[in-house]
Amino acid sequence: MAFSHAIVEKNAFVLIAATFAVLSIGGAVEIIPLFTIHTTVEAVKGVRPYSPLELIGRDIYIREGCYLCHSQQIRSLRDEVERYGHYSLAAESMYDHPFQWGSKRIGPDVARVGGKYSNDWQYAHLKNPQALVPESLMPKFSFLAETKLDYSDIEMKLKVQRLLGTPYTDEDIANARKDIEAQADASVDATALLKRYPKAVEASGKTGSVTEMDALVAYLQVLGTMVNFADTSEEQLKQ
Amino acid sequence: MGRTDRGDTEMASSAATAMLDDGSVVNKVFYNEAIVRKFVIAAIVWSIIAFGLGTYLGSELAYPQLNIAPYFNFGRLRPAHPTAAVFGFGGNVLFATSFYIVQRTSRARLFGGRAWADFVFWAYQLQVANMCVSYLLGFSKSQEYAEGEWHLDLWLAVIWLSYMTIFIGTLTRRKEPHIYVANWFFIAYMSMILILHVGRNLCIPISPFRAKSYSLFPGVQDAMIQWWYGHNVVGFFLTAGFLGIMYYFIPKAAGRPVYSYRLSIVHFWSLVFLYVWVGAHHLHFTALPDWTQTLGMAFSIMLWMPSWGGMINGIMTLSGAWDKLRSDPGLRFSVTAVAFYGMSTFEGPLMAVRDVNALSHYTDWTVGHVHSGALGWVMLVSFGALYYLIPALWRKPGMYSTKLMEWHYWLAMTGITLYIFAMWVAGITQGLMWRAYDAHGFLQYSFVESVAAMHPYYVARALGGLFIITGALMMAYNSYRTITTPNESALWAGRRFAGALAAGE
Amino acid sequence: MDSKKGDLIVGIVTGIFGLVGLVLAAYAQDVEIYIFGLSLVGFAVLFIFGLVKRFYDEKDVAHGADGQGGH
Repeated sequence: MAFSHAIVEKNAFVLIAATFAVLSIGGAVEIIPLFTIHTTVEAVKGVRPYSPLELIGRDIYIREGCYLCHSQQIRSLRDEVERYGHYSLAAESMYDHPFQWGSKRIGPDVARVGGKYSNDWQYAHLKNPQALVPESLMPKFSFLAETKLDYSDIEMKLKVQRLLGTPYTDEDIANARKDIEAQADASVDATALLKRYPKAVEASGKTGSVTEMDALVAYLQVLGTMVNFADTSEEQLKQ
Repeated sequence: MGRTDRGDTEMASSAATAMLDDGSVVNKVFYNEAIVRKFVIAAIVWSIIAFGLGTYLGSELAYPQLNIAPYFNFGRLRPAHPTAAVFGFGGNVLFATSFYIVQRTSRARLFGGRAWADFVFWAYQLQVANMCVSYLLGFSKSQEYAEGEWHLDLWLAVIWLSYMTIFIGTLTRRKEPHIYVANWFFIAYMSMILILHVGRNLCIPISPFRAKSYSLFPGVQDAMIQWWYGHNVVGFFLTAGFLGIMYYFIPKAAGRPVYSYRLSIVHFWSLVFLYVWVGAHHLHFTALPDWTQTLGMAFSIMLWMPSWGGMINGIMTLSGAWDKLRSDPGLRFSVTAVAFYGMSTFEGPLMAVRDVNALSHYTDWTVGHVHSGALGWVMLVSFGALYYLIPALWRKPGMYSTKLMEWHYWLAMTGITLYIFAMWVAGITQGLMWRAYDAHGFLQYSFVESVAAMHPYYVARALGGLFIITGALMMAYNSYRTITTPNESALWAGRRFAGALAAGE
Repeated sequence: MDSKKGDLIVGIVTGIFGLVGLVLAAYAQDVEIYIFGLSLVGFAVLFIFGLVKRFYDEKDVAHGADGQGGH
């Protein structure tokens, strides 16, 4: 036999080089094409970057580890589509850094929870889930309603998002704080906000101060609502 | 005896001698065992923290009143459990065993000097502690098993590169022409963890002085990279690394050579090649393109064969020494572990089949599967190795109490069985309830009905955790007594101190 | 390997990490970076102290001060 395994066994660097080479193949074949194949993300309309308040809400969702119990990925199975709505598209998480698909449903999927419940229900439920759903295992998040939202870092966040490919314009960044106030306070005119971020839901627990819960509810209320499936053709859904 | 009570062989001033594997005699100051002892103790400490966190989290799901907002809410506490278990307990076991094995099988002292190895030790303990604290404070990248923010990733990179340099440096100093098979597996595990750590954690912090960062990759690509990472942490940290342990400690404890050398070559290369592909099976029926899902499934099924090849190689090493299973509870831990390895590497490919996955995904079946691997395989093989290492490193004729080892074994078995069965039933129940239709063609159950149905299984699971932590506490006590009981003590009467390195050889 | 040289190099590098920690803690804009920075400083101080202590302990042993079979 021309090749003897002894060469690998007797030379540490040959062993390491061979191991690295073999280790790289699988990952490269599965990951690189996802960036190069155009149709990986469907060509649907309506998906927009998160509004500043939604983005902060999303960061709170991550901070509190919501993804550990709630998935955001409706699989293309009959019962899931009937229970939660249209199966999730890759396009719907194209601005998600990182993704929030989750891996476990201790609670239900929330990929299309937006608009499913009223703002009031969301606030009451987050504060005391068992008051609305006695069997629920969800922790209480009443502290979010008592914590004033710190959005002093919103420009930093938007700039990094833009660096990563999310199309925030200079105007979006310049108006970030105004947009937060418009979305979190029902008494502030939201025309400019809604022009930049269509379908943004105004979420406000009480007027006066913006809380972390306002941000979280704004995020939850937009989940899964961006794509209008009535206007979407089969062709656009092809991967 | 030439040893100080601190157990630092390097400081021994007398020239005590030790027998090497091949029977040659060298000066005992030869190996750096002080560092191995430190990692062994750290592993025991982290095991108790990890099992404690696991039991508490399991109890939170059975009794949600146990959630204490905000720091001890399930969502913040949950990532600390796998971190303490995988990186705290598992990681310290891997550091201990790899440093022990590479020195012995290479007949070379650890490369890089003792201060560097000590640096790796303390820096790593700091890392695991910092990770747990940061999750409780709410800083998380939300990438499972890679939740630590960017600054923690950088610190881990420093540790990992040091670790690899020390390990590979020791290999290049070896006096043996061949690199022993256990070291191949250690190399595969270290290399892959390096690739994974860099690949998964690419992100941009929002400021150099803020912990918050955003992943470089969006949605679907991020999902694929996550499960390429997540599954290969299981495949290389928790499998390849611990297979290295199996390939050294089972032959050692059984006093038999590895069953088949050829099989270990096949096992190694096929495992290293195939494992990397399977992560996509976490994303069946999702927005990940079908071709990737299919690849993930196909390779998962192929992976079954090398896994069982490895299992056969481990278990058959005992041929001719089966009687030791009865007399050596430590070996029984290791061999039961290999049996669990076989079980979960059969269950894994099964769950990777799309139609099975349609039922099992998002349910507690997955959680049960992870734990049959993590508790049945990783925990048991770790304790098997630790029960071998502790007497060897502290020069004792054996563990302080064999009876406690027996208790630990049966408590662990009871705990694992409770856990796995509870999660099987829970998972399959959830899966079936979610897809059940009534006579009119409507979904039969609301989601919350499936939550309520879980209660008894979640209680059983938490109970399983109690059994496991009780066993681990016995192990800790047993180790403490083994280490602190002086050699002259009557407790060791009638037991053999075979020279300076007693059970170690 | 010469353990004194090894101690020195590792000690210096650890010292640099400690300084990085100090800078992070000083400029930290959130509690996590503050804690992380401080933990690096604490780590560096204690680790280097350990190296120095071991150096002098061994020197004592080498000079025949060892009579207790330990320290």
